[in-house]
Amino acid sequence: MADFSWDIRGPLDRALVAGAYGAQGDAGVSLTEIRNFDLVQVMARRGKAGETAKAAKARFGIAAPETPRAVAAADATLIWSGPDQFLVLSKDGRHSIESLAIVFAGSASLSDQSHARALISVSGDKARAMLAKLSSIDLHPDVFGVGAAAATSMDHTSVTLWRGNDRSGQAVFNLLVFATFAESLWHTILDSAAEYGVTIGHSEEL
Amino acid sequence: MRGDQANRLNNGGLIDRSTPLNFRFDGKTFSGFKGDTLASALVANGVKLVGRSFKYHRPRGILTAGSEEPNALVELRSGARREPNTKATTAELYEGLEAASQNRWPSLNFDVMSVNQLFAPIFVAGFYYKTFMWPAKFWETIYEPAIRRAAGLGRAAGVSDPDHYDKAWAHCDVAIAGSGPAGLAAALAAGRSGARVILCEEDFVLGGRLLADGDTIDGLPASEWVARAVAELEAMPDVRIMTRTTLFGVYDGGTYGAIERVNDHLPVPPEHQVRQRLWRIVAKRCVVAAGAIERPIVFAGNDTPGVMMASAMRSYINRYAAAPARRIALFTNNEDGWRTAETAIAAGLQVAAVIDARPDVSPAHRSLASKGGFSVLHGAVAGVDGGKGGIRKISVSLSGGARAEVEADGLAVSGGWNPAVGLTSYHRGRPKWRDDIAAFVPDGAPPGMVAAGAANGAFGLGACLREGFEAGAAAARDAGRSGSIGSMPVADDEAFSLTPLWHVAGKGKAFVDQQHDVTASDVELAQREGFESVEHLKRYTTLGMATDQGKTSNVAGLAIMAAVSGKSIPETGTTIYRPPYVPVAIGAFAGHHRDENFHATRLTPSHHWAAEQGAIFVDTGLWKRAQWYPRAGEKDWLESVTREVKAVRSGVGFCDVSTLGKIDVHGPDAGAFLDRVYINAFSSLAVGKARYGLMLREDGIVYDDGTTSRLAEDHYFLTTTTAKAGLVMQHLEFCRQVLFPELDVQLTSVSDQWAQFSIAGPKTRDLLKEVVDPGEDLSNEGFPFMGAREVALRGGLKARLFRISFSGEMAFEISVPARYGEAMARNLMIAGKPLGITPYGTEALGVMRIEKGHVAGPELNGTTTAGDLGLGKMMSTKKDFIGRVMAGREALTASNRQVVVGIKPTDKARRLRSGAHIIPKGETPGPDNDQGYITSVCFSPVLDQWIGLGLVERGRERIGEIVRAHDPLRGEDYDVELCNSVFYDPDGGRQRG
Repeated sequence: MADFSWDIRGPLDRALVAGAYGAQGDAGVSLTEIRNFDLVQVMARRGKAGETAKAAKARFGIAAPETPRAVAAADATLIWSGPDQFLVLSKDGRHSIESLAIVFAGSASLSDQSHARALISVSGDKARAMLAKLSSIDLHPDVFGVGAAAATSMDHTSVTLWRGNDRSGQAVFNLLVFATFAESLWHTILDSAAEYGVTIGHSEEL
Repeated sequence: MRGDQANRLNNGGLIDRSTPLNFRFDGKTFSGFKGDTLASALVANGVKLVGRSFKYHRPRGILTAGSEEPNALVELRSGARREPNTKATTAELYEGLEAASQNRWPSLNFDVMSVNQLFAPIFVAGFYYKTFMWPAKFWETIYEPAIRRAAGLGRAAGVSDPDHYDKAWAHCDVAIAGSGPAGLAAALAAGRSGARVILCEEDFVLGGRLLADGDTIDGLPASEWVARAVAELEAMPDVRIMTRTTLFGVYDGGTYGAIERVNDHLPVPPEHQVRQRLWRIVAKRCVVAAGAIERPIVFAGNDTPGVMMASAMRSYINRYAAAPARRIALFTNNEDGWRTAETAIAAGLQVAAVIDARPDVSPAHRSLASKGGFSVLHGAVAGVDGGKGGIRKISVSLSGGARAEVEADGLAVSGGWNPAVGLTSYHRGRPKWRDDIAAFVPDGAPPGMVAAGAANGAFGLGACLREGFEAGAAAARDAGRSGSIGSMPVADDEAFSLTPLWHVAGKGKAFVDQQHDVTASDVELAQREGFESVEHLKRYTTLGMATDQGKTSNVAGLAIMAAVSGKSIPETGTTIYRPPYVPVAIGAFAGHHRDENFHATRLTPSHHWAAEQGAIFVDTGLWKRAQWYPRAGEKDWLESVTREVKAVRSGVGFCDVSTLGKIDVHGPDAGAFLDRVYINAFSSLAVGKARYGLMLREDGIVYDDGTTSRLAEDHYFLTTTTAKAGLVMQHLEFCRQVLFPELDVQLTSVSDQWAQFSIAGPKTRDLLKEVVDPGEDLSNEGFPFMGAREVALRGGLKARLFRISFSGEMAFEISVPARYGEAMARNLMIAGKPLGITPYGTEALGVMRIEKGHVAGPELNGTTTAGDLGLGKMMSTKKDFIGRVMAGREALTASNRQVVVGIKPTDKARRLRSGAHIIPKGETPGPDNDQGYITSVCFSPVLDQWIGLGLVERGRERIGEIVRAHDPLRGEDYDVELCNSVFYDPDGGRQRG
């Protein structure tokens, strides 16, 4: 019998080179790929939006977003992805599709997207300036506050963009991109960020 | 000449005399200062001749000091960065700048083509059409190349631009175009009220005309007021000041285009920086404070180097401390022009005379003249005696009829001012004529936009400040901002008095459009020949069609047309205004999207593994797909592909098919939903089974095909072709949301979730046994053809296994979550090593599908029906489905339709090529006898010959018939036999075995 293993290879494993990139000096943009997350698409069945919302509230302790927003529960983030649907982002199998299937049985259809996306977290003084090259969304703090979300496109590529909680006083923008587009968008991001100086890393922490 | 700057004034100017900059013009070294433009530095160095004109190669100098410049166009930089037709008047000077004059040979001073002037009578308006009509075939081969060599402007670099460009979005409450008094006042009012403001200024310094014309605002010298205003604006966090940025267009929904020349003022952009950036500014309101453009008066010799707009002369003297001439004459028809005389005197220059076209001048100006010792001549400039060395003498026709001569080396001209009505007119707006200022002003504007100040016809400084401030305040208010706007800046309004004068009759060429060499007599000729409409005038004479878009010439041209056609100027009207306001590099519009970044790229989960294997990739839509895997010693693609096919047909191979679209279809009504979108039934499909499905468009034509599996009662897994993945998803969403909202069904794209591989060949089971958990039954009984279910793999991973075959061999498709895709490829290679496993690419995949007669993109070409593809029997008669009714139309069911059939050459050694037309034997090729064409071809390793599929009229009834394959594109004509489209294993025993 052949001896083989099931190593995981993320869509950015090769393109991402941790460290500094672009202009020298203090990095204006910080890019962190978040790896190995669970992501489940929850879509309420016809006429079951109320039940789905109730089930979500019971499971996560917070209401699922009904408008383009991302809400943080204790161990998951619920991100609006369309009318009567949202994504559940979590770690370590706490909200895997198998466990959520029981929660939403009869009220919602679930689809596993854990491998379908790459998650990139963008912060730094120049994060907004860099993202303005990629996104038509107004990211001014008064307009796109913590928890704001958008299903939009960057570089002709579909992305889900949301603003997470600030980290060390700085805004954090998260973007979920389809896995097969990830390397291409990553290069575009690097090109856009290079003039500000970039620090690149990856993390297993959401 | 280094460091000469003979015409630099000793004092004043907004130049930094502590930072001298060296530059080269036509190979000669000069120096200027930081703060200069190339034009001002040339003026400071006494250079008057800077270019040759487009058609007549006449010597030309510098006419203006801004982006309206028609003459002083140069090639900036060299090599790959050479930038033709760059306006010297806006090019910022930098150390080492290199520029060359254009359209001359061998040199600017001695230009052979200036003989064109001698032939001027034949170069009149419309001369291309008149002179080069016959013989027609000479146009492309002789006339056009010759004309192109002789006429034209700068030379493109001819090689790829080494610099980068990007694009960005910005959002604000109020966008302001222009930072003159009106723009700054608007920004102050809007900014103070709390609005988010973007102030765009095309110059590299803020202030607009205030930089040249001084004046007093709020009791302060203008320069000081500007500095204070800018400081106040810079302290506001939501005010963004963008210099070197031209707001060039207005688009739908309050979106504005702007071009920022980020690093044009440097020889080479710093590392990691772009040269230019294209902005899309989304603004709730927009204030156009783009000012006005001083207009020339058309007279003989008005293009002589040394003739300059009066306001430009003030700019050079006051802003740049550079004297365009030592002894200046002024020709004006308005009060404002006189400021140039005042400026010249203040700078210690001589004023030779003021030629004023108005009947009278003010007492103040009379006393200025007597103090300054120059005469005031009532009349008009009738001609200029001069040439490439500049002006020698000016001839004046006095209003009494007498003539006078003025000796001067510079002539300032002011014919009044034209508001910059471009932006306000870009949505098909037509400006309206105002008699009091003899100019067109905006008549309304696109939604959310308003003009203020000189751009709105308010020429007094006080009025500019007032209009700007009020427009800024109103715009902010409309955007919902209500903060205190503070006090309005105040200044006096200058007297405005103008007597319109457009054209002075005289001997010699009088230019209307200097960049395109259109003269007053060309306009008159156009009228005589019937091209009287301004739109015809423009096209016939090319007036206003040069890179400056007629900023200094359009109004004069139509005024002359009005005069000769006996109409008023408003009756004559204006041409349509279109963006961009200034030329914008195509590179800026492309931004990041060039070369390998032309579009986004999609990579399959096993891409990097395939690259390691040396795969050749092919672009399939956005995807990179492994096309074949060459091995050492193979001489061409055909040898590699043939090997791959043979390996699959005799052993086992695998191919990444993750590019197929994959859609989760969920919900209690999923089966009913699929029944409606597919022509065949899916609600009857058992859990654990897969079925081939075909969907039609509403019009009955085939849309897409693929295999759909039922994984649970309420969960189907649908696949699409690679090409149609996104479109089918859209189509299904449309069906779900709009056509069948009553169905309880949910859709999610899972194309990126799963890495999917096709494993094919008689040894497939032997391979899978090594990969799949030994507890899984893969026998025909345990996993029959078209079975589909989840299985465990060795090592515990779950996978989905589908027993489907595109190759015609015993085959499975296996899916694992995408991040395991690369491991799957590696593990298949490890497990399959004893079996001689062979990875194969899209070419081998295509060969095997043609051998099996499976239809693909070339046959699903948007014109074929299910019947054409031989799949008519799949159309269920027991249910309704999209396209059913329309598929029954007479023409779609006609017996003579072109249908899929197999094709093989009668000469076994011949290569087939797709695209060849099918003609009956003995008939002449042509549309009447065209019976179809070859859609797909391949070399079949199994049959050891080329085979193909075709769409041929009544093809299936004609099996065995010999027809002609006629290929005029490749010059081929040969006989082929129509045959069964399934070339290989027609009864399908191998895939079921």
